[in-house]
Amino acid sequence: MLWACILLPQLAMDGVLRQRADADSPLALLAGPPQRRVLQAVNGRARALGLRPGQTLTAAQALTRDFATAEYDLAMIECWQQFLAAWAYGFSSQVSLHYPRCLLMEVQSSLALFGPWAHFEARLRGELAALGFRQRITVAPNPAAARVLANAHDGLAVTDGRTLHQALGSLPVERLGLSREVATALVRMGLRSLSQVLALPRDSLARRFPVEVLAQLDTLLGSRPLALEFYRPPDVFDARIELNFEVESHQALLFPLRRLTADLAAYLAGRDSGVQRFVLHLEHRNGAGSQVQIGLLAAEREAAMLFELARGRLEQLQLPAPVLAVRLVARELPPFTPEHRQLFDERPQQSLPWEQLRERLRARLGDDAVQGLGARAEHRPEHAWTTQPAVLPLPPCGPRPGWLLSEPQPLREASVRILAGPERIESGWWDGGDVRRDYYLVETRSGQRGWAFRALGDEGPLLLHGWFA
Amino acid sequence: MNDYAELHCLSNFSFQRGASSAKELFERALRLGYRALAITDECTLAGIVRAWKASQDSGLPLIVGSEMRVDSGPKLVLLVENLSGYQALCRLITQARRRAEKGRYRLLREDLDAPLDGLLAIWLAEDDARHGAWLRERFPERLWLGVELHRGPDDAARLRTLLDLAETLGLPPVACGDVHMHARGRRALQDCMTAIRHHLPVVEAGAYLYPNGERHLRRREELTELYPPALLDETVRIAERCTFDLGQLEYQYPHELVPAGHDATSWLRALVEEGARWRWPDGVPAKARERIEHELDLIAELEYESYFLTVHDIVRWARDQQILCQGRGSAANSTVCFTLGITELDPTLPDRRLLFERFLSRERDEPPDIDVDFEHERREEVIQYVFRRYGRGRAALTAVVSTYHGAGAVRDVAKALGLPPDQINMLADCCGHWSDQAPSPERLAEAGFDPDSPLLRRVLVLTEALIGFPRHLSQHPGGFVISEHPLETLVPVENASMTDRTVIQWDKDDLDQVGLLKVDVLALGMLSALRRCFDLLAHYRGTRWTLASLPQEDPATYEMISRADTIGVFQIESRAQMAMLPRLRPRRFYDLVIQVAIVRPGPIQGDMVHPYLRRRNGEEAVDYPSAELKPVFERTLGVPLFQEQVMELAMVAADYTAGEADELRRSMAAWKRHGGLESHRERLTTRMLAKQYEPEFIARIFEQIKGFGSYGFPESHAASFALLTYASSWLKCHEPAAFACALVNSWPMGFYSPDQVLQDVRRHGIEVRPLDVRHSGWDCSLEPAGDERQPAIRLGLRMIRGLREADARRIEAARREHPFGDVEDLSLRAGLDARARERLADAGALRGLAGHRHRARWAVAAVEPQLPLFAGQPAPREAPVNLPRPSVGEDLLTDYATLGTTLGPHPLTLLRPRLAALRCRSSRDLPNVESGRPVSVAGLVIGRQRPQTASGVIFVTLEDEFGLVNVIVWHDLAERQRRVLVQSRLLRIDGHLEAANGVRHVIAGRLRDLTPLLAGLNVRSRDFQ
Repeated sequence: MLWACILLPQLAMDGVLRQRADADSPLALLAGPPQRRVLQAVNGRARALGLRPGQTLTAAQALTRDFATAEYDLAMIECWQQFLAAWAYGFSSQVSLHYPRCLLMEVQSSLALFGPWAHFEARLRGELAALGFRQRITVAPNPAAARVLANAHDGLAVTDGRTLHQALGSLPVERLGLSREVATALVRMGLRSLSQVLALPRDSLARRFPVEVLAQLDTLLGSRPLALEFYRPPDVFDARIELNFEVESHQALLFPLRRLTADLAAYLAGRDSGVQRFVLHLEHRNGAGSQVQIGLLAAEREAAMLFELARGRLEQLQLPAPVLAVRLVARELPPFTPEHRQLFDERPQQSLPWEQLRERLRARLGDDAVQGLGARAEHRPEHAWTTQPAVLPLPPCGPRPGWLLSEPQPLREASVRILAGPERIESGWWDGGDVRRDYYLVETRSGQRGWAFRALGDEGPLLLHGWFA
Repeated sequence: MNDYAELHCLSNFSFQRGASSAKELFERALRLGYRALAITDECTLAGIVRAWKASQDSGLPLIVGSEMRVDSGPKLVLLVENLSGYQALCRLITQARRRAEKGRYRLLREDLDAPLDGLLAIWLAEDDARHGAWLRERFPERLWLGVELHRGPDDAARLRTLLDLAETLGLPPVACGDVHMHARGRRALQDCMTAIRHHLPVVEAGAYLYPNGERHLRRREELTELYPPALLDETVRIAERCTFDLGQLEYQYPHELVPAGHDATSWLRALVEEGARWRWPDGVPAKARERIEHELDLIAELEYESYFLTVHDIVRWARDQQILCQGRGSAANSTVCFTLGITELDPTLPDRRLLFERFLSRERDEPPDIDVDFEHERREEVIQYVFRRYGRGRAALTAVVSTYHGAGAVRDVAKALGLPPDQINMLADCCGHWSDQAPSPERLAEAGFDPDSPLLRRVLVLTEALIGFPRHLSQHPGGFVISEHPLETLVPVENASMTDRTVIQWDKDDLDQVGLLKVDVLALGMLSALRRCFDLLAHYRGTRWTLASLPQEDPATYEMISRADTIGVFQIESRAQMAMLPRLRPRRFYDLVIQVAIVRPGPIQGDMVHPYLRRRNGEEAVDYPSAELKPVFERTLGVPLFQEQVMELAMVAADYTAGEADELRRSMAAWKRHGGLESHRERLTTRMLAKQYEPEFIARIFEQIKGFGSYGFPESHAASFALLTYASSWLKCHEPAAFACALVNSWPMGFYSPDQVLQDVRRHGIEVRPLDVRHSGWDCSLEPAGDERQPAIRLGLRMIRGLREADARRIEAARREHPFGDVEDLSLRAGLDARARERLADAGALRGLAGHRHRARWAVAAVEPQLPLFAGQPAPREAPVNLPRPSVGEDLLTDYATLGTTLGPHPLTLLRPRLAALRCRSSRDLPNVESGRPVSVAGLVIGRQRPQTASGVIFVTLEDEFGLVNVIVWHDLAERQRRVLVQSRLLRIDGHLEAANGVRHVIAGRLRDLTPLLAGLNVRSRDFQ
């Protein structure tokens, strides 16, 4: 077997740069707590300004202020690794992320498909470059050797044991994948290269170093196998139904749709997850297909509900051409939290469960028309609510009207009676919208209760701000 | 309109809650016509002395109190009625604070079971009515129900509920304000502090913010509108009951130091007489006798005997333990302190013109301040002695109130306003390090901020307001308060962050106000070094020197000082000091006093340095503004340099009394923060004009007084320091080996690293021997060096980075039994683990047992823990292996990495051929270069300094194999080549030489980074990167 190691020396930086339009301006990635931000990676232009990984942000700013910063994001790095592994999976069925920021792939069995190694390598490099990832590639008879050779070489392909011995022998001990302490110890003994170490009696080494050291050397030289865990592509639900005839009406699409949503529900149940978003692809004879996006507010997996939703969205679509096939792809499969039902469900048969009503409303009126409501910890009434879930804790406050007018309206004072107040609210200086108001609980002649205010120092009429239910 | 007294009010000593200072609160309360103001900070009296001061200044009575919440119980305000109430409150706070970690408190229900006579309580009822009944038992006839109305949702309903509750429980209701700020305008700051307290941005802190700004000192019209008259009248009745005043505190210094048959006065006299015989074995000179009598009279009149006895006791104890110590500061003005051995300088000697009034005066109603320096490594012993001697109940450290400086304030405010961390850091950078000002618009614009944006304007306004606010209490490093009675009857005591330390809630200024005496137990590294040096010499030469016995006025020593050969010497070793020495050329002790004081921001900013130098070198005539001032300024050639001279000037030329002059000194130190110099300007000007002084001279003197500001150096302080300067110089001059050895062993201290001290001593021809486990102890030591007059220095194991002292001590002990045979023997007998063995091998300390570093490392790696079964069995035989010998360059780099110094060739020696090819001169060549000529030099950068006083100029110090090169980099160049300047470890300077009066500088014209040459010394760098 032959193993290629694709080392991604700038993975974090490349991952950020490929998303930036100004990839050529100086950029540094930062990590560490706010009091001590440290440069984790810098691009070429930043390096030219004297910025180096390991510098503190303060030190860097002492040099220049002329650079942009972004977060060194471990989750993103993991994401890119997965992305690239999926890419590599297209070339080899044995891909491993055993070493961080590095792809290992078995290439011997792929040579038949992708041509001799020189061609194959060029293709790999070409595609990586197009994706925006810098790389170093080496090949060796075992994955561990390929990995350490990549520390010192780029483009080296070693295919036989003897050459491997030579190539490894000249590597410095710091680059053999040994722990830092062991490498330091070897250097402090004057041993700089692997060949110097291998020249020493094995039992003398065994006496001085932990067993892992000889094990690692054996692995490098191929006399001891390395246990690898291979990459497996992520789970995606992707099903397609080809229709036997060209369908032109929505009505006729309902059957395959019901099948697909039912299959999806079964699949979800099998892996105990829900779906938050899925896509229907409608394939036409000519031209691009149509897509219908179905998004949910929460993860669901009930077949009838999924069908209902998909149908609602599908019916809004004008079919541009007859449909030949329907495909359902679901990628977002978050865990599902089932609701608890009472043993004897007391709801009337005709009523729609709340969730289903909510989703049907959303399907009919549009996603933006139906929103959740939450409270915010704010004293200014107009800022005290949000469409996001409530942020806790909330400040203690007096009674607040259920219906807040979007614009306060002047109130004819003669028509109302003041029941309580003033309740003074002075808050909000931090965003330039400071308010200073005295609020009153008022009652109209008809007995309706309202909430009205007057700004401090203002002589004008009371302004009605909301109605109590 | 009803009379009103506010009974529930927080100052900014309720950290991150109260948004106004006591001064602001009292001033506003007075303006509003309040009858009294209680300061009730949350479970603390840390701000009460300031409140007391504010109350005296405004004339509005202060009620001492505290707001507290009982652990899972009611919240209440306690007010002090009389002295016993005050003591009860101190006790409660102490209990609650001692129980919790620093900065928090925990008051338990049972704490209120103790007698609480003299404490009044206001219950701030929340929901549980049962608390009321429980409190009523604890405070019979002394409990009120607090009614606090802040224009909430329905004040009328709330008032009804509370009045009903009061009725039911039979408690009198009273109005209070829960005041958090003096005026409504502080609302934003108060919100901001709340957010800071909860570590949230203001936007997200809504749950904790008050809904409005009503928690301020409200006008009485408003209160009348809100509260029924009876509730307001009740506040005044309570206020009238609270007659306690902090002035009633009676503090007594400990009495146990006086033996039976004596009182404090007679015992102090006895000790002084005994000391006088010791100081003047040939009889006390008349002048000294006169001073002693004068001082003793004053001390007795002011009843400070016990204070002197206490300090004497501590100093005597330290001496008994061979801990070197010396009084610093104004105590050096006192002959009594000199005879008691607290200070070392005789204030009655002819060229000393020290002012006793600077130390103790009748007018100044304030205790004296004796600060004593101890060896920095042994101060803890002294502190523990004090705790032992007086017990924790009677001795505690004083607090330091940490206040917000510019950077900290802007950081907290910016965080509360939700700025991202990177921008917060940049904002903080825009503040000077200890600046008390918000960043200037120019600095902000330079850093890319828009100072006019609304957000930044908010940040700046709030920062400005927050600066100077107290932030938290920390412990003073060595300021002690000791009392005859338990301290908690005087002031609450709380935990410090260090374990086993307790701190009172007042800081130094507070103590002065209340009349408590404090002893400062300070730490000074040089004292450790001097004591070590005396010990080394006693051991090596059999002569025991003391500070007092060193030969005085030694010409060779002054010669050395004048050459600026002062690395390691106390105080005069900095770049600026060294640049001044060849110009000032000290010849006698008093010159050192001046030298120590003159290179300071005060004299430099007041432009006193150059006139003094010109006069000293005879380039300018010495003149005096008037004949009467001649005696004042004679010793400094007519240039005012010392605080004491300013005081004397005021006394002589403006007829100040000694006490008034001291008041002037205090204003001088404080004017930047508090102002208050104006009255002196008027007084000085009027009186001096009347005596025919030139207005110009008066104006200049006044500018100089301001220049002294907080930097002003008292002569007595300079004199105490100069004594140590002289002692360390003498030792460096005559015993360079022992002195360097002591410095290295006392590190960290001083300006220079052990490497620089050792390079310096080697340049002076002293042999330094390498580490060797067969010879080295933990400390560096002295060894005979052939027939040389000076011994050699043997490096100690303390030089090895990461080696533990305990390992080294075991090596010492094992070696005393018998010498080590090999590495195995060493490891087993000294009980060394792998880590210690590796450190020794890498440092080259095993050369005598195992050969060069590589072999040593190979050898120690084979040492295995011996199992009892195989004890005594020889280790398995191994075939010898061939390991490469380290190169010179490798050894050098490993030396620096493991020891921080090298005894091999200096790195520059190895690089010299290449530097010579680059036409770089060495420091040895520079004396041969004419001033003004172009020159190139290169060296290791050992110092970059930007003196506060020099505008933008940077001093760089380079070291090469022969010595140091002083480089001046002007501001423009520094900006242009900032990167090279900041990053280079090996730097080349192209520029020109400037030499005058034996001072040589290279003025940089261009900087080049030669650091890569250093890496070239390392073989490893040839490897593939």
